[in-house]
Amino acid sequence: MSASSPLLAELIDALRCLPGVGGKSAQRMAIQLLERDRGGGRRLASALEQAMERIGNCSRCRNFSEDEVCAVCANATRDPHILCVVESPSDLAAIEQATGYRGQYFVLLGRLSPLDGTGPEELGLHALAARLEEGEISEMIIATNPTVEGEATAHYLGRLASAAGIRATRLAHGVPLGGELEYVDRSTLAHAFGGRQAVE
Amino acid sequence: MLLVQQQPAYVLHARAYRETSLLLECLTRDHGRLGVVARGVRGPRSRLRRADLEPFQSLALDYSQRGELATLRGVEPIGALNRLRGDGLLSGLYVNELVVRLCARQDAQPGLFDAYAEILSRLDAGAAPAWPLRRFERDLLQALGYAMQLRYDAQDGEALDPQAFYRYQPDGGPERCGPQTPQAVRGEDLLALADDRCPDDDGLRRLRVLMRDVLRFHLGGTELRAWRMLRPGPPPALR
Repeated sequence: MSASSPLLAELIDALRCLPGVGGKSAQRMAIQLLERDRGGGRRLASALEQAMERIGNCSRCRNFSEDEVCAVCANATRDPHILCVVESPSDLAAIEQATGYRGQYFVLLGRLSPLDGTGPEELGLHALAARLEEGEISEMIIATNPTVEGEATAHYLGRLASAAGIRATRLAHGVPLGGELEYVDRSTLAHAFGGRQAVE
Repeated sequence: MLLVQQQPAYVLHARAYRETSLLLECLTRDHGRLGVVARGVRGPRSRLRRADLEPFQSLALDYSQRGELATLRGVEPIGALNRLRGDGLLSGLYVNELVVRLCARQDAQPGLFDAYAEILSRLDAGAAPAWPLRRFERDLLQALGYAMQLRYDAQDGEALDPQAFYRYQPDGGPERCGPQTPQAVRGEDLLALADDRCPDDDGLRRLRVLMRDVLRFHLGGTELRAWRMLRPGPPPALR
């Protein structure tokens, strides 16, 4: 079918760049848009075009933003003295939704991983160090993932904070709520055991 | 198809592969460095646990192999949990990059696995990383067939003079030079590395520069990424 129309073939091929979309799904999506929802297709095309052209990174926190400074950084009601460092924009969204955190963010867009070619420069740590030097931040919450690379990143960030004389804190590790110890993996259990707290 | 069971191994690196899988670089005891696909391990209903496949943990792997990549069938952590922290963690990532960059896949090097296990246990015990790293670099080069010549002058074959200065040629060995020569090491530094004795702090510093030079040579002149995050003192981002 796609042989009849080079444009359709190109559309199917282009849709395959989406995660989880192979040849079959791409063909279904393309045909659905052409057959039943040309309006939706045009909207998608224009939203994609706009987003790809205009969304850049916030100059303060590196999160996606079409403005120089994103809405979170520009929000004057948020606490300017606490900074939470996360690996990705989706981590930021998760913290925003789950916690009542009202401070600032910094998005690394990755983690220290020599074998993936990400070092301090790629994570924008110069910008972060400059921000710590401004003197307004009093606590840095390190919310990198509890993986080996995330822990290495946390250690590096901790050194940055202590060099700037700022208190650094790390998210706690623990057993998931509603879980059973028997089924918790041993490294999580060991972390939770090591980080036990007094009962109040 | 080759079936391997209970193979002692470490994960060196994991990267996302397809939708829910991971592509692991492993160091196995009997088959050297190996690329292993862990199918579906990032998905919600995986039988295998993502946390078991973190680097630095001693594992027993079951896998099948057809072609270059192996497919993971089972994984079992062995022994105590390896918990590298702080600078030991950064050093461990450096060691992993070194092994991946220098060792070809499926090229078993006897001795390398033991050397790797040993440096992990030293870093885990919280030792200062410098000396264990130098010993590992020496053992790694030896396992790969690039053993360093640390006892005799490469030019005249004389035994090294502990007090004299030498310039180490990566493809030859030590050659006598003046103390002002850049990257010069003392004879006693090289002999300490050969005899497995920890040199003093100045000696360790000279050996660090020397080993980088030798490794750079074997890496075809390229740099390791981990070198950028291993600089001592305050992080470079602040300088």
